[in-house]
Amino acid sequence: MRAITEFMANHHRCCDGLLVAVEQAVVSGAWERARTEFARFQDAMRHHFTAEESLLFPLFEQSTGMYRGPTQVMRGEHGQMRQLLAGVASALDARDGEDYAGSVETLLIMMQQHNIKEENVLYPMCDQHLADQVDALLPGLQSQIAGEERVPT
Amino acid sequence: MQALLSFAQSPPLDAPFRFFLTAPLFAILAGMLMLWGGPDLFASRWTPAALALTHLISVGFMLQVMLGAMIQILPVFAGANLLRPRLVVPVVHATIALGALLLVAGFLSQQAPAFWLAVLLLGSGLALFIGAAGHALHHVPATNPTINGLKLALPGLSVTVGLGILLAVGLDGAFALPLLQLTSLHLVWGFVGWGVVLLAAVAFVVVPMFQLTPPYPAWFARCFAWLVLALLCCWTVTARWPGPSSLLAGAVVLSVAAFAVHTLQLQRCSKRARFDATQHCWRLAMLCTLAACAVWFTGVRGPSLTARQEWLCGVLALFGGFMSVMIGMLYKIVPFLVWLHLQNLGGVHFLAPNMNKVISAPQIRYQMQAHFLALALLLAAVVWPRWFAYPAGLAILIANLWLLRNLLAAVGFYRQQGQKIAAMLPATPATASR
Repeated sequence: MRAITEFMANHHRCCDGLLVAVEQAVVSGAWERARTEFARFQDAMRHHFTAEESLLFPLFEQSTGMYRGPTQVMRGEHGQMRQLLAGVASALDARDGEDYAGSVETLLIMMQQHNIKEENVLYPMCDQHLADQVDALLPGLQSQIAGEERVPT
Repeated sequence: MQALLSFAQSPPLDAPFRFFLTAPLFAILAGMLMLWGGPDLFASRWTPAALALTHLISVGFMLQVMLGAMIQILPVFAGANLLRPRLVVPVVHATIALGALLLVAGFLSQQAPAFWLAVLLLGSGLALFIGAAGHALHHVPATNPTINGLKLALPGLSVTVGLGILLAVGLDGAFALPLLQLTSLHLVWGFVGWGVVLLAAVAFVVVPMFQLTPPYPAWFARCFAWLVLALLCCWTVTARWPGPSSLLAGAVVLSVAAFAVHTLQLQRCSKRARFDATQHCWRLAMLCTLAACAVWFTGVRGPSLTARQEWLCGVLALFGGFMSVMIGMLYKIVPFLVWLHLQNLGGVHFLAPNMNKVISAPQIRYQMQAHFLALALLLAAVVWPRWFAYPAGLAILIANLWLLRNLLAAVGFYRQQGQKIAAMLPATPATASR
């Protein structure tokens, strides 16, 4: 019963792969390609955050009654990563290699420590508490991560 | 559910930093001790100065970094926080720092009261830490190899401390203990049962995630800590029988070598665009670990390890392996924590300066090169002590003064930027309220 953990962790690895493409473009001096690859990475990250904030976290909160606990911390970290994503985008726009290297390093560590918390603690608890809703939940997460559904604003 | 509740609390910045900033002080003392002891220090690993040097690095430098890192990673990796960190952390830090100093003083002066006090302080401080960390991890299910490794490292530390206490109280010969055998057990449990098990638990997450490599083979990560501990237990029980004991010791060394080989192989597949200081330190550490294993195997083909082989194994494992990987990790953990706490201070409308601005890249590079040079000189000093003992001592002193300088620069950066943020913050609500 690790369906949520495996699905979401797999998407974390997909995002890692997209970030690698940005890094490789920057190292080879292909700034335009780096911007294109970064836009793909940024989209994937935003869709991931949206899937969690609009679907997974509310269900977890309803199921456990914990509205101000770990999901709140994760939302806060999403906010910090959104700021870091904007910082990396500015560095790429300015073609500033040094600023890019520092911003992307910070983003990578922030992102990975966030992923560790989710994969080791939060997702396993989601698997435990949302076991009877997994069949309905996974297609919803899938379509939001693929960017097919927009959350009403 | 306890895991989730503690998940929201991050340790205060000073909790890990007090350990990280103390660690280089012990390595600086190690450099000074080598300058004071000179070539004679390398005569045997049993000289008082050699024992003091070993413990300055293992109980002084390594234990400080390991406990500081564990306090920081328990909530992140396992959702487990120490109870009452503001009380527990300063007590653990003060007792083990003072205990390490007294232990070194005991070795150098051969005065029993120093050993007794050291045992009291180190024993109580570490018992408090093991109790607090064990309590935090108790309700966390071992759902992955990292949590499992963190849990299994604690018994390894407990056995090491227990044996250390036994050795300290038995040094005057009052209890007719088999001191040589106990020393081997103490050393191997400390290196492998505590050190390598904890390092591997961290590596299973840190290497793939931060260096963007494929994961360790699942079977290897799942079995490693259990296998190593099972082998160590069997080896301990059979210590009186040379045949099985040698075979089991060989199996322990092979397991450690397998961990190093896997890590090096993964690093070769890293997708990071640039190889940074941390990755260089990991690579050197794993190469030194492999070299230490190779020296051990070369040595046991004869009647026993020669004094030079023992020294080479020790220097490769302690200075080359553990110390290198810890320096590399400090250069990731410290700047990131500074960034994170500044970001938390600043709030949602503020982006803290990125972590590469916390300690300047050239300073990290120079320090890393100084550490590599110190290691090379120390290895040379093992073989040619008359030529290299003083240069090695001086190099260790300089490399660790530099490490301390870099860590203090990070603290200075945090204070400076924190003041800027504090000056900026009160203006925001006032402006908003107008």
